[in-house]
Amino acid sequence: MGTQELVGIVPWTFIFQICNLFIQLWLIKKFLFKPINEVLEKRRQLTDNELKGAREAKAKAEEMKKEYETSLSSAQAEAADIVANAQKDAINKADTIVKEAEKQAAGLISRAEADIEQEKKKAINEAKDTIGGLAMDIAGKVVEKEINENDHKKLIDEFINNVGEAS
Amino acid sequence: MNFEVNGAKIYYLIHTGIPVLGDLPITETLVVSWVVMLIITGLCIFLTRNLQVENISKRQAVAEMIVEAANNLVRSNTGGTKFDWLIPLVAAIFSTSIVSNLICLLGVRSPTADLSTEAAWAVIVFIIITACKIKAGGIGGYLKGFTQPIPLLTPFNILSEFSTPVSMACRHFGNILSGIVIDGLIYAALAIASSALFGLIPGAVGNVLSQIPILDVGIPAILGVYFDWFTGCMQAFIFSMLTIMYIANAAEG
Repeated sequence: MGTQELVGIVPWTFIFQICNLFIQLWLIKKFLFKPINEVLEKRRQLTDNELKGAREAKAKAEEMKKEYETSLSSAQAEAADIVANAQKDAINKADTIVKEAEKQAAGLISRAEADIEQEKKKAINEAKDTIGGLAMDIAGKVVEKEINENDHKKLIDEFINNVGEAS
Repeated sequence: MNFEVNGAKIYYLIHTGIPVLGDLPITETLVVSWVVMLIITGLCIFLTRNLQVENISKRQAVAEMIVEAANNLVRSNTGGTKFDWLIPLVAAIFSTSIVSNLICLLGVRSPTADLSTEAAWAVIVFIIITACKIKAGGIGGYLKGFTQPIPLLTPFNILSEFSTPVSMACRHFGNILSGIVIDGLIYAALAIASSALFGLIPGAVGNVLSQIPILDVGIPAILGVYFDWFTGCMQAFIFSMLTIMYIANAAEG
């Protein structure tokens, strides 16, 4: 078993080493670069997709937020409207009630006054009649003579009127 | 004591009868090269077993790191993804070179300690460089490039063109061979030193101990950190870098 020279190119070894490098190139490509690059590419796609999904979800969420905000503000406005309307209604109603009550009270008062007036008149008339009768009786008793009814009446009325004015 | 450094052993000689090329010698270089290829390919297969997109294993992380490192090395030195076809070639050269350089630690002869190996790689790189130059400037542009800047320089330009693969091959080969030579010298020197040192011990003990090269244990390993590990990694890296740079320069015209 000999040895080749220390420094020198052996043609066959040279050719074999060229082939070896190309075989190694092919092997490393097939067993390392191809599968790993595939995985890296897959992962890149996955991340891209996830990023895209996240962006879409974010946009959607923002849209929904805007929508909610709009609807919330409109709801608030509506609520304020409702409250204002209710307040107005309440005020109106209260006013009406108060007015009605006042009217009723006024009616009651006037009626009471009218009643009082009527009663007064009635009382006066009654008093007049009673007094008239009384006076006639008294006069009859005093005069002891029948006087003409009509003359009497006139006389009595005059008397009562005088009494009323004097009283 | 004699010390000698020999070329690669020839295990078997196949008679081919082909002129010029002569007989086909199955040398230590070739056999160890195949072992190196097996190691690299086995490692690739082992690292890329059971690949996952998510929740990756440590093995896959290492494989991805290697691929990313190779991609980054080529892309950052060529500026862009134009030279992505170069990545597997650079990876093949780098891995073969580094495993070949370091396999001498297992006691076999590195395939890179044979100039034929580096010459083969350098010639491949040279062919790619030339192809890129022709592709970039056409055959006319390529030939005209030799007469730049003045026609007088044409012989020097041709010399410089051919010196590229020669220097690449010889640099790598020289570094690895020097490592082998220095390692051999250190072993031999330490054996002599060991024998002289323990020969000082009188009697039979000294006689026995001086026959054993005790200093050869451990000390060469420390020196091997530089001459084998550092040089091995460095030369693989330099060869790969030069491959990238030369080809990128050539393609730019």
